[in-house]
This record gives sequence, structure tokens and C-alpha cells, in this order.
Amino acid sequence: MGWWHELRYVARRLDRRRAGEELEEEIRTHLELEAELNLEAGMSAEEARRAALRAFGNVSLSKEDSRTVWGFRSMEMLWQDLRYGLRMLAKNPGFTAVAVIALALGIGANSAIFSVVNTVLFRPLPYKDPERLVMVWEEGTLEGFPINSASAANYLDWRDQNQVFAGMAVIGRASFNLTGVGEPERIDGRRVSASLFPLLGTEPQLGRAFTAEEDSSGAGRVVVLSHGLWLRRFGARPDIIGRPLTLNGEAHEVVGVMPPHFQFPSRDDQLWVPIAFTPQQAANRGNNSFEVIARLKPGVTRDQAESEMDAIAARLRRQHPGVVKSDGSVIIPLHEQLVGDIKPALLVLLGAVGFVLLIACANVANLLLARAAVRQKEIAVRLALGAGRRRLVRQFLTESVLLSVIGGAVGLLLALWGVNLLKAFIPKNVSQVAAVAVDANVLTFTLAVSLLTGLIFGLAPALQASRFNLNETLKEGGRDSAAGRRGNRLRSLLVIAEVAISLVLLIGAGLLVNSFLRLRNVDPGFRADNLLTMRIALPAVKYPDQPRRAAFYNELLGRVAALPGVRSAAVTNWIPLTLQGDTFGISVEGRPDPGPQERPDIVTRVVSPGYFGTMGIELSRGRPFDERQDRADSAPVAIISETMARRLWPGEDPLGKRLRPGGPDSVAAWITVVGVAEDVRQFELTAAPRLQMYLPHVQATFFVPSHLVVSTQVEPLGLAAAVREAVWGIDKDQPVSDVRTMEEILSESIARQRFSMLLLGIFAGVAMLLGAVGIYGVVSYSVTQRAHEIGVRMALGARRGSVLRLIIGQGLKLVLIGVAVGIAAAFVLTRLMESLLFGVSATDPATFAAIPLVLVAAATLASYIPARRATKIDPIVALRYE
Amino acid sequence: MKQEPASQEQIDLLQGTLDLLVLRTLLLGPTHGHSIAHLIQQSSGDVLRIDHGSLYPALQRLERRGWIAAKWGTSENNRRAKYYRLTAAGRKQLVAETTKWERLATAIGRVLRPVPEEG
Repeated sequence: MGWWHELRYVARRLDRRRAGEELEEEIRTHLELEAELNLEAGMSAEEARRAALRAFGNVSLSKEDSRTVWGFRSMEMLWQDLRYGLRMLAKNPGFTAVAVIALALGIGANSAIFSVVNTVLFRPLPYKDPERLVMVWEEGTLEGFPINSASAANYLDWRDQNQVFAGMAVIGRASFNLTGVGEPERIDGRRVSASLFPLLGTEPQLGRAFTAEEDSSGAGRVVVLSHGLWLRRFGARPDIIGRPLTLNGEAHEVVGVMPPHFQFPSRDDQLWVPIAFTPQQAANRGNNSFEVIARLKPGVTRDQAESEMDAIAARLRRQHPGVVKSDGSVIIPLHEQLVGDIKPALLVLLGAVGFVLLIACANVANLLLARAAVRQKEIAVRLALGAGRRRLVRQFLTESVLLSVIGGAVGLLLALWGVNLLKAFIPKNVSQVAAVAVDANVLTFTLAVSLLTGLIFGLAPALQASRFNLNETLKEGGRDSAAGRRGNRLRSLLVIAEVAISLVLLIGAGLLVNSFLRLRNVDPGFRADNLLTMRIALPAVKYPDQPRRAAFYNELLGRVAALPGVRSAAVTNWIPLTLQGDTFGISVEGRPDPGPQERPDIVTRVVSPGYFGTMGIELSRGRPFDERQDRADSAPVAIISETMARRLWPGEDPLGKRLRPGGPDSVAAWITVVGVAEDVRQFELTAAPRLQMYLPHVQATFFVPSHLVVSTQVEPLGLAAAVREAVWGIDKDQPVSDVRTMEEILSESIARQRFSMLLLGIFAGVAMLLGAVGIYGVVSYSVTQRAHEIGVRMALGARRGSVLRLIIGQGLKLVLIGVAVGIAAAFVLTRLMESLLFGVSATDPATFAAIPLVLVAAATLASYIPARRATKIDPIVALRYE
Repeated sequence: MKQEPASQEQIDLLQGTLDLLVLRTLLLGPTHGHSIAHLIQQSSGDVLRIDHGSLYPALQRLERRGWIAAKWGTSENNRRAKYYRLTAAGRKQLVAETTKWERLATAIGRVLRPVPEEG
């Protein structure tokens, strides 16, 4: 049996050392025998030996080939190469450190960003068949916005008339005061239809979801808790099912608890109650505050669904002319809904971080090329000894991949730290942020990138090094040979590429910084510093009407204003820049009604008289609200914004004009304009101010103030405890929540832009650093190479200055070419990030002019250091050293 | 005295052919590498001069295939040397390869047959 022999053969040679010794001995014996023959034939001892060797041929080749037969040769060679590579790296700690750092930065940054992208963009949502889940929006029913939340009546018609959805559910916002279990707490939750949980496909961990009967008006009140809430407030007690909870003063029976990590729709929602439309609500086509989620039937596409919904909308418009305003529906896949905001920024960052890695590769490739030039002698000897070129290339590649895997391992550590940092900066509303982690996917990615990187930057030096003229190298002593010159060209090209890529990143970062600064400088319309805000939502059960509410607020404002350190205080329904607010359409007195679609949509705030003073909102005309003048029983008044004044009464004085909510058949009283205030950014700093108006809260009873704002003379948060005490002094069961300073709110509103700017800035900085190091390396190496030439120049009388100019000039030449290429590339590429910019064009001339200057300055510095070294060359030493 | 006669040619041997020659040489009896080298040279009438070094990989190959077996022993002049001998499988292989080679040589010879002279 042949295989039996083969097995024994291979097994006997597994001890490589012993097998090697035997082979040595065998060949040695052969040579001795041959030498003896030669001696007998009359040669001298020396001649005999040499003749024996000649007759033998290439000894090491013979040994190599013999060893190949022993088997596992590739593995053995790989192992050999690895050990050799490690030794080489250890022998050159400086080189190794620089290369590993560059690679760690590049690979680590990539892994960190990939962790985020992997989870936020790619991880499927934790529901059943999440790719079939979509959100359905009304189209064209809100001025200035392409989509709008649905009204109850529209939702019900959609649900009953469609053929494209396997199920639909509706969600409304809700906030609850939880009382009766220790400290009162304000909890965010949702009112949902009974169809929601089956639609999502997630089973409760305990108990059950709602039944259809419970989802009707007048049914007994039930609630489903989130796992987090159950853990936090109820100690995960197993008998929670059936227990009553007091929410907003009413008893709710707990029927279910959701599993851990379940969230819908956002992390902050901690409980769900049935939406239970009243008949009035169900018939209302104007209460657009409900979000609709649906599951597409198998095989139905988004476009098909949209067509169907458009058809339904057309039908509804025909059936209810003048009431139904919608043009149709816009259907957005749920996943896109939750991450659409941050996707462009993440993609830009992914691209940027790829660039950084390329720069790191170029740097390390340069380092390797320099090293290869130094190792020419070693390579020459090995080639002469019979090593095949392929073998050499393989060995160099092994070294490169070893280097990049080490760099990748360090990079992974960097990424672990970086991911935690990133998570803190990602805007809060991005879904699944909590799940971002360095997981198996990221590890695989890092490994793949490391290997690939090693091959990329290693290939050129490996090929370069192993291909050259043996003769030439051995003769010329390895310096300034033609091979060296060829290497130089490649290295120069790499530096040019590095500079170009760094410039692109720097310009991108510069644009974002510019953008962010402009954003920060947008005047929000109010004074944001030293302003404390908090939410004090009075439950309807305890404060069912306007007078009782007003009494509470008056008492509260009185107590708070009396606190030391408080300048003034006021209440309002919603705070600017929190993306929350109500609008309604109005009619202007004396103007024909343009129809429900065209009526101006006004952002409405109900406030106490001290609001304008507290928020620092200036009035340009008229008067602020006054406690004595504007009472519940006096004429309704309003203060409008400047834009609203300009839009509705262009060229006229708006004071004294009248308007009212609703259309021509509205029963609301006419409201008189008594003042004009400066525009406030109510929703987003990036958007133009919307039409907005203020009403006194004692008059506008259909809106309820729920937020307190306090202008302080000291650090706002320091007063939070005192204000809370003031609230509890009036009503000990009143929850106080969302205590934040206006500065925090402002800062959070531009979190996304800050995130992009910081990250791109960091990457660009790293890129520039790497680029500078690259330039330093090339210039430094060239100084070493040309030491002889410089020595000659100086001996012939060249002055320091001219040598400096010579060397720096060489570096600058590369940089200028790189900058030219970089500017051209940036011109094209920055268009890709247009959606991230604010107030700055993608080809902003100032940025494009300033950034290259910065880069050139850095490059000059990087060239200066080795240039200075060149001037210190002692001409005599240089001339002597050949 | 070993000389390099000017009229001799050094012929490059293919691996497989070398293996065959080694097997044939060992037919005469077990011996070590150095002696194999000289035996091949001598039997070929000094035509075939191989680099001695190329023998050793060949010996490893043959040993791996099980056609030869190795054992350490002592040489004429009391040196430790590795002795190789032909195995039964090796013998079979030798016969098979020799037959193939002869057939090949005959065929080539037929193709290269000199053109019959006129006359």
C-alpha cells in the first residue's frame, strides 16, 4: 500500500530539526567522499574541495528541493516567513512602531465606523419580517411639508379599503403621570391600536397584548409595560399581570410585559395603551397626529402600495369634498424611516475612513520601499543562492500581512475605545444605537481589512524589491543605483497620492466646520443662555378645566419667580427646537377663504405673559401680553411673528387685524393682533422660521401649557431642585420631568451636524498627520541617498540656504502636485456631501483656498526637519563615505 | 584522473528520467548517494553528467513513493552514510518505466530514421 509508506515517510520527517541534521550529514559525507576522490586524483586539498562543490552544484538548492519533498512545504515556508518577518520587525523597532501606528489608526477607524454602520444601517429591526414593515403618511396636507401624520378617519378608511396591506396599525403619542408607586414619574408611551403587536410579530414576555374589545372607546383601561419599566419601577415582580396602575389619575390594569430589548417606536416609549378612538375622533379628518404603520402583503411592492393608496385618497376626496385634503400617501419602509436621517452622514464617514486607510497604506508602502532599498544586499545574496523570485515575493508579502495584522490588532483595541466614544455622540433619535458594538461581524471585517491592507501596501514593495539587476546592485554597493531611482519614483507617486487624498478629506472637514459654525451662529430668535426648562403636564383628571389650571400656574409662577437667582419664569405648551408643536389653519378677516388646503398653517404657542421677557424674544411692534388686560373673559388677542406679519399683511400694519382658527364656518371667536415678535426657530435651526403666533394660555383653552421656562441669574441646573420643590409644595403628586437647560436643547438639535463635523475633522487631522509623516519620510530618505552629492556641493561652497532650498524644494514639488490633484478631486467629490452642508456651497472658494495653504505649511515643516539635517552634513565625512 | 573531455556533452536530465536512472542503478544492489552519482556517470560512458546535488531531491522523491528504502550504515572508509535499496514496488516500477522509455525511444527513432541513400 503506497499510502502506508508515504505516511511513514512523512511522519518520520515531522521532526524537522532531526531530518535536517540527517540531510546535512548525508550531503556532507557526499562532499567529503568526492573530495577524497579528487585528492587521490592528485588535486590539492583546496582544489579537491572546490571541485567537489562544483560537481555538486547548488548545495542550498539541493537541500531546499529535498526538504520540499518532505511535505507541508507551504506551511513550513509560511511558518518560516512568519518567524523571519517577526525577527525583522523586532530588529527595526522604529520602523515597526511607525508602521503599526499608521495601520492601527487606519484600520481602527474603519472598524469603528463599520461597527456603527453595521448596526444602524444593516441590522434588521427586531420585528418579524421587518423588511415588509412600512410607515404610511398623508401627502400634501401640511403646508411646507411633503408628508403629514394621518388623521383618525383617514386611517380607518385606509385600513378598511386597502388590498395591499396584510395589516395596519395606528399610533398616537401619549405621556402619562405614574402615581401611587413611590415618587411620581412622567413616562412617555404610546397609544396604539390592538393590531400593532400582532403586526410587529413580537410576543409579550408575560401576559398578552390588547384584544380588539379593549381597543374601543369606553372599554376598561389596560396597559402593556416595557421590560425596562417593569424592571425599574416594579422590581420585575412576577405577579405584575392583573395589577392596577394609576396613570394620569386613572386605574389601568397591566395585561402584558414586552420582552427585553423590545422597543417601539423609540427607546423612550415605556408603555402602551389602547388608542381607543372615540366616535368623534374616529370621524375627524383633521386630527393629523397619528402615525400609521403597515405590513405589505407578500409580493406587493412599495410602488404598488402607493398607487393603491393614491386611488383610495382620490375616492375619499370624491366622497368627502372639501374635507379630505390628501393627494395620496407616501410609503416609507420602516428601516429607512428610522435611519434615513443619519444615513448620508454615515456613508460620507465610511468613505472618508476608507481614504484614511489608503493614506496609511501609502505611508507604510513607502516605509517598506525605503526598507527594501536598504535590504538590497540581503536580497541580492538570497537570489544568488538560488531563491526563486516567487519565494522572495511571498516572503515580503508575509512580512507585510504580518505587519498589517499586528496593526489591525492594535486598531481593534482603538476601535473598542472609539466605538464607545462614538455612541455618546450619535444623535439620540437614531435607532438601535444601544446595539452598536464590536461584534463578530466587525471582527471579521477587521481581519479581512487587515489582510487586504497588507497585500495592498505590500505588493508594490515586494515586486519592486525582488525585481532588479543582480549584477548592478552587487557592484554599486546598493546606493543610488538605477533600482534605487526607480524606487524613488514610486515613492514620490505614493506621497503625491497621500497629499491629494489628505487634501480631499481636509477640504471636506473644512466645509463641515464652516457649516457647523454658521449653524451655531443662527439666531434662534430667543436668548438661550441661563434658561431652565422642564415639563409639568397637569393631568386632565385633577385639573379638568382652564380655571383650575390657571390657578396652578399662577401659583407656581409666583413661587418660582420669588426664588433667589431667578430672573423670571413663564409657561408655554412647547419649547422651541424640540421638534414638537401644534399647528392649525386660520382664516384672516376680510379675506376670502382659500380652501382647507391653502389656508395658512400657523405654529401656535400658548404662553403666560412673562414668556417673551423670560425667553428674550423681542417685540418689534405692539405690546406683550398683560395679566390684567388679557384675561379669560376679555377680547382674544394674539402676538404674531414677523414673517407671519409680512406674509399675511404685506405692507400693512398688522396691529388690530383679526384672524381665527378654522375656515369660514368656524365658530371660534375672532382674535386681534396686538403685537409682532421676532421670528423664533421653533423646529429646526436649519429651516426657515415658520409662520407662528402666540396666544395667552388663559384664553386659548384648546391648547394646554405643559412646560415651564425659568430665566436664571446663576447656573440654571443649580435651581432645578428648588423649582421642583416649588411644584411639589403646590401638588405633591405632580411629576416634573425633562429638566434641561435651553443650551442643552440647542446643542442636541445640532447633534447630527456636530457628529459629522467632529468625526470628519478627526479623520482629516489623522490624514494630514500621516501625509506629513510620508513627506518627511521621502525627503529624509532622499537626503540620506544624496548625502554624497550634498557633501560635494557644500565642499564646493554652497551655502546653508541653498541646500535648504534644494531639499525643501524637492518636498514642495511633490506637495504642490498633490495639492493640484487633490483640489481637482475635491471639486468632484464634495458634491457628494452637499446634503450635510448648511449655508456653505460644496465648492466654497474660501475653504478651497485656505485649506491647501494649511497643508502646504504642514508639508514645508515636514520637509524642513530633514532639510536642516542636510545642512549639518560634514562635507568631508560625506565625501569619504562611498 | 577525472577530467572533463572536451568532446563530451552535458545533457540536462528531466526529473522523471533521473528517477528512472537511480532505480536502475540500485538494481545492482544497495548503495549510497555518492556512489549512485558515479555509477550513473560511469554506466553512461561519461555522457551523463548530472549535478550531484540534484540526486538528493530525487532520492527523497523515490523514498516517499516507496520505491526505495533508506538505512544508515557505514561506508568503505568508515563513514556514516545513508544506504538506499530498491523495494519490491520499486522493482515493478522500474520494469514498467523501462518498458515505456524503450517504446518511446523506438518511436522517436522511427520518426528520426535517416532517409535511405540513393544508389
